[in-house]
Amino acid sequence: MKTQERQNKRLAKPRYHMADNISGWGFIAVAVAIFVIFTLYPVISAIITSFQEYKPFGSEWVGFKNYVTAMKNDLFWKSIKNTLVYTVVVIPLSLILSFSIAVMIMPFTKRIQSFFKGIYYLPGIASGVAISVVWLWLYDASPNGIFNRVLALFGASSQNWLSSSKTAMLSLIIMALLSSHGANIIIYIAALHGIDNTYYEAAEMDGARFFQKILYIVLPMCRPTTLFLLVTGVIGSFQVFMNAYMMTGGGPDNNTTMIGLLIFNNAFTYGKYGLACAQAILLAIVIAALTTLQFKLMGEDIEY
Amino acid sequence: MATGLYSQHLHNRKIYHLRNLLIAVFLIFFAAVSLFPIVYMFAWSFGPAVESASTSYNIFPGRWSFDSYKAFINFSDYSLKWILNSIIVAAITVLGNVIFAGMAGYAFAKINFRGRSILFFVILLSMMIPYQVTQVPLYILIVKNFRMTNTYPALILPGMCTAYNIFMAKQFFTGIPTALIESAKIEGCSQLMIFRKIILPLSKTILSVMAINTFLNSWNTFFWPFLVTSKEEMYTIQVGLKTFKFANGSLLSPMMAGACISVIPMFILFFSLQKYFLEGVTVGAVKG
Amino acid sequence: MKIKKVLATVLSVAMVSSVVACGNSAPESAQNTGSETSTTTAGETQAEETATSSDVTDTITIMVPPITGDYVDLLDGWIKEFNQDYPNITIEVIATSWDDHTEKLTTMALAGEAPDIAEVSYAAIGTYVENGTAIDISQYIEADRLADYDQNALDYMTLEGTLYGLPLYITIQALGGNKEMLEAAGADVESIQTKGWTYDEFLEVIKNGTVDDRYGFVFANAGATTQDFINIFGVSAGITSSFTSDLKYAYTSDNMLSLLQAVETMTSSGYMPNYAVEAGQRLVMLQTGQTMLTGKAMPLFENNIKRNIEKMQASDPEAVEGTIEMEYVFLPVPTMDNATASVFGTVDGMIALRNNNTTDEHLKNVLLFMDYLCSGERAATVDNAVYLTGVCESARKAQESFELDQSDANAAAVAYAISKVVAPPTGITAEQSANAKTMMDETIVPKFQALLAGETTAQDVYDAICSEAYNLFGEENCASGWIK
Repeated sequence: MKTQERQNKRLAKPRYHMADNISGWGFIAVAVAIFVIFTLYPVISAIITSFQEYKPFGSEWVGFKNYVTAMKNDLFWKSIKNTLVYTVVVIPLSLILSFSIAVMIMPFTKRIQSFFKGIYYLPGIASGVAISVVWLWLYDASPNGIFNRVLALFGASSQNWLSSSKTAMLSLIIMALLSSHGANIIIYIAALHGIDNTYYEAAEMDGARFFQKILYIVLPMCRPTTLFLLVTGVIGSFQVFMNAYMMTGGGPDNNTTMIGLLIFNNAFTYGKYGLACAQAILLAIVIAALTTLQFKLMGEDIEY
Repeated sequence: MATGLYSQHLHNRKIYHLRNLLIAVFLIFFAAVSLFPIVYMFAWSFGPAVESASTSYNIFPGRWSFDSYKAFINFSDYSLKWILNSIIVAAITVLGNVIFAGMAGYAFAKINFRGRSILFFVILLSMMIPYQVTQVPLYILIVKNFRMTNTYPALILPGMCTAYNIFMAKQFFTGIPTALIESAKIEGCSQLMIFRKIILPLSKTILSVMAINTFLNSWNTFFWPFLVTSKEEMYTIQVGLKTFKFANGSLLSPMMAGACISVIPMFILFFSLQKYFLEGVTVGAVKG
Repeated sequence: MKIKKVLATVLSVAMVSSVVACGNSAPESAQNTGSETSTTTAGETQAEETATSSDVTDTITIMVPPITGDYVDLLDGWIKEFNQDYPNITIEVIATSWDDHTEKLTTMALAGEAPDIAEVSYAAIGTYVENGTAIDISQYIEADRLADYDQNALDYMTLEGTLYGLPLYITIQALGGNKEMLEAAGADVESIQTKGWTYDEFLEVIKNGTVDDRYGFVFANAGATTQDFINIFGVSAGITSSFTSDLKYAYTSDNMLSLLQAVETMTSSGYMPNYAVEAGQRLVMLQTGQTMLTGKAMPLFENNIKRNIEKMQASDPEAVEGTIEMEYVFLPVPTMDNATASVFGTVDGMIALRNNNTTDEHLKNVLLFMDYLCSGERAATVDNAVYLTGVCESARKAQESFELDQSDANAAAVAYAISKVVAPPTGITAEQSANAKTMMDETIVPKFQALLAGETTAQDVYDAICSEAYNLFGEENCASGWIK
């Protein structure tokens, strides 16, 4: 009986060929070496630090104290909530937007396609502080501010954009949607180019219209790309802190305090590096749960 | 040129042109909206190098001049060296990622080796820890243990092969029919040969996407280079621009000029790699 | 091909094993290298102690933001001068930008690789004391040199009775206005500049000063600048530091409640804009006559305004559009009922930090150079650049020969303001200081922003601050009632 079970188990396991093992590890050797030294080691070190009261000359072990402190802190949960709201709005919208634009660029000649790709990629090229300064100026709350002047054109009253609880998060979301789709569009275009004409020809023979082609050919064929953009988008969005740091400082009333900003402040402003690490690990757990969910939903198994 | 996604309306060219016109109008409108901050940045880079400029509500400066650009070039003996440093760092980073992340992505997607799933999962997990907390141990490693301050390796190594790119390559290679690889195997090709002769030609598009995105990231990275450089001659352009901002950061035009200068090499690279995005070498075209 | 494959395997196996080893032992090896370096340095010092101390070579690293626009260039010159007396001490400068100075410094400190000397604001010292990198400097500097510095300024650099650095300059932050408009609104400018004013007088003046197209008062309060508002008007309500003289947390006192109520009145009065004002905008509004009074203001603004008016008169297109002629007056903040008149000041200075090179001998050299930078002509240069008076005797002496382009009235106002700056109590612990910073950033500023946006009431803000503070410090450590 027992031997039988064991045999079954062995059979159920995927088989590895020696040749595959060798070439597989050969292919990833350098990547893994770089990964372990420059990514994994710092990550493990951060995990260790999360159990310490960190001091450069003599840290103390404090067990789960940092985790308890983090979990008891209302602002920690508020910032997770803020980040979640931001992510849930920004990521799906920006994926839909990038996908639609990528599809809309397709019917044109090469030359026009390059033109559109160029101008859609541009906002992504110029990132960082200079662009934040421009956005601060767009959102200027005085009646002379650009967005307020646009509102005035439509007869609407001036808004206190970044300084009002009602509009601060919305302002950050608008900014994200208008300035971060360049790379996504390019990746989607690459995926769209990878779909062979024969699929469309076959579909046309069955009498498929444009939206049917999108639904039954393009979307399924782009699924690995979508999964990639979704997963990395969510990870990136959960770690975002530059926008809140530059634009609102987290205010008003902590309505735009992102978890990334909180971790940054703890590590670099308040000198609570151990606490920052604990918060980062908790954040990673939240992201990992969401990522697993996304893999499940997108139907791609990830075995571990 | 034409993919089969859109109907060519061969029987009625008018509809075809009208449809394309409508799409183009929408694309241009949306592009204009998202380009607006860039236009402002570009325009004000020609503004006067004075503080008051930062508080003007005008979209364009009242007087156009090259003062800010001149100021940048004259600001430091190393202004041009900074651009060179950035190019060196970004180029090697791109090369490393395209080769190593490309190979690793292929292995994760198409080679069934022991430990594949768990390793890939660990790589994914590592992306979830924010850099704010991994920066300190990385700094200890590079500066304290490896004594690499003010060197190119310190600037390049941490970004040589990122989890993001491995993941992206894996997702792309997953889409390549396995039959294609199996048949090559039967014909006696080693994995390395398959990768070189079959996979690489198919993946110009994705690799150039990876190249341009990696270049962009490397180019725009500020904080890491800022941490590991203390000598002006080793600054990258982003670090240099920050010191160029002067005491209080309210000099609008020099700041915008700096941002514009740093954009130009990116733009050149983008357009020189454009043809790869468009080549549309498709996977299915090589019938598996 | 086969050989390549084998090679690849060998390589990958080697990589993986080295990698595993690396993951486990790296922290240890880090410590090893650390202790190794320190033992060698210690060994060196011992060996060299036989020689006269002036022969010992030493390298000092200093990290500074652009304190004045050309500070790094100035520093180069001073280092050359310093090296004439001490040729054996090499100084390495790490230049940073204001925006990123703290983050780089903290990262380096956390890594145990801090520079020997760093420029910090006094409020940040607690962080470095907490993580054990700040150094008690008093034993490494000679007593007669220390006597050069004003005690008031030294108090800012002190936590729990320990001195961690030397003050470089004290900034006073208050209000600035248009003299003519103020007088038209019934203010006795000269008396305010030298004797201060009450909050009721202030309200009356900004009420009279508000006309069509012009606000009586504009305070830059967008984003992080909100904290300036709290600091500057905090002293107006008698809160001069986060802690009272008996070391209780001050923002839970009745003074805070009346400050919040005053702000509520001010924002709903119509004498101030009802939207957030960006930092750069306030000066422009003053220059163009869109406001009579502005804050936060520094004495240095006199220079900005004069230069701008000169440009306007020369029809230089770089002048601010719509500039009007005006005389800039620097004013202290008004004082609320039952509070003692005081002005908000903040001290920036240099602190000494611990790294692997730190030895007693090295610290003496560090302090030698730190003292050199914070005194005499060096400090005077910085003070002159920001229109302030030095905080040490030698700097003031060096300033005497310098002609500052400042009106007598403003000079008198600055002197009055500096005399009204109250240093924080000296017994504050590093933990209290760090917690106060957290309170300020995570509770007070965000709630205050909501108050300025008209989204909450003074009482609600006050209650929220109290409940957070009781959590963090314990109710018994928070001030209650009115503090004098």
